[in-house]
Amino acid sequence: MAEYDLERLSVLVVDDSLFLRSLLINSLRILGVGTVNAVEHGGEAIEFLRQVKQDPMKVGVQQVDIVLSNWQMSPVDGMMLLRFIRRHKDSPDRFVPFIMITAHSAPKRVVEARELGVTEFMTKPFTINALGEKLITIIENPRQFVHTRDYFGPDRRRRKLPIEFPERRKLTDKSPGVEIVRG
Amino acid sequence: MASASTQKKVPTTVRFYRFRNRLKEKCHGLGGGAGGISPEALAAAEAALSKMAEDYPDWVMGLIGKLADKHGRCVDTPENRHEFFEEIHAIAHDMKGQGGTFGYPLITDFAESLYNFTGSKGEISDRMVELVKAHIDAMRAVIRGRVKGDGGEIGAELRRSLDEAIAKYKSKN
Repeated sequence: MAEYDLERLSVLVVDDSLFLRSLLINSLRILGVGTVNAVEHGGEAIEFLRQVKQDPMKVGVQQVDIVLSNWQMSPVDGMMLLRFIRRHKDSPDRFVPFIMITAHSAPKRVVEARELGVTEFMTKPFTINALGEKLITIIENPRQFVHTRDYFGPDRRRRKLPIEFPERRKLTDKSPGVEIVRG
Repeated sequence: MASASTQKKVPTTVRFYRFRNRLKEKCHGLGGGAGGISPEALAAAEAALSKMAEDYPDWVMGLIGKLADKHGRCVDTPENRHEFFEEIHAIAHDMKGQGGTFGYPLITDFAESLYNFTGSKGEISDRMVELVKAHIDAMRAVIRGRVKGDGGEIGAELRRSLDEAIAKYKSKN
């Protein structure tokens, strides 16, 4: 296995706790991530992302490759940020991988974030191995994005597993009404 | 016989976006094969994290000191209580975010309780100021005693006395 060179990677950290923020920045830098920007809450993240879209020279960041955000923050939390990224016209990249850091591992909350198009979850208290694994999954196995009437986000089926119930996906790539966008 | 051009076009109901893996190209070049993060870097980051976790009690103690300072000012200059309560509210918010991560969920709970009652815009009574003190004392006891996790008997006792202080405050309002 060859090792990544993360020097060209750009990560945006969003956390309102100074201690956790510096911990994440520090960890990512030690792992070799070349560009780490950090903001205090979702509102600042939205502002930052708008600037990346409108005037990348000014903020000195051409692109954000991964967003690593806490869920519970005020005034703008991680879910509102995720909604902006996936759905707003000013979002610089609606496909950007989004890791949600959360102490809420209750299934209902997880489903809520999944329906908004979260890419990965990281539960607190987190470990470096967990952070490393999330980065590897994102880099190694990106999922296709799915856009339907009521969903936009990474494919919620992560793996091709044999299913024991009747297949509910009625459409294949060749069905009428299915469009494949490649790029 | 209907030709392709006269067939009614079915509106798109699902769009699948399948992109080239640019992120991997960025981090791993075009060579292919599975990649990973260097074990040395992971170990170094893990060591840095443990070091920070070790520093956590000191860091929280610093914040508790700040809270105590604001509390003192609330006592000395009652006319400025709103300003100090805002600062206490902000510090409590910062504390509640990470206690659990470093093994001190009681700090998170107590900070959350402090955060919740310092956010109101109404009048700030002497009793509210006393209640801030009760929270500071409870958090200080957690860190001094290195009361990790739920804290067992000591944790329960700290929780009980803080709850009593809160109940007392509520009953008088």
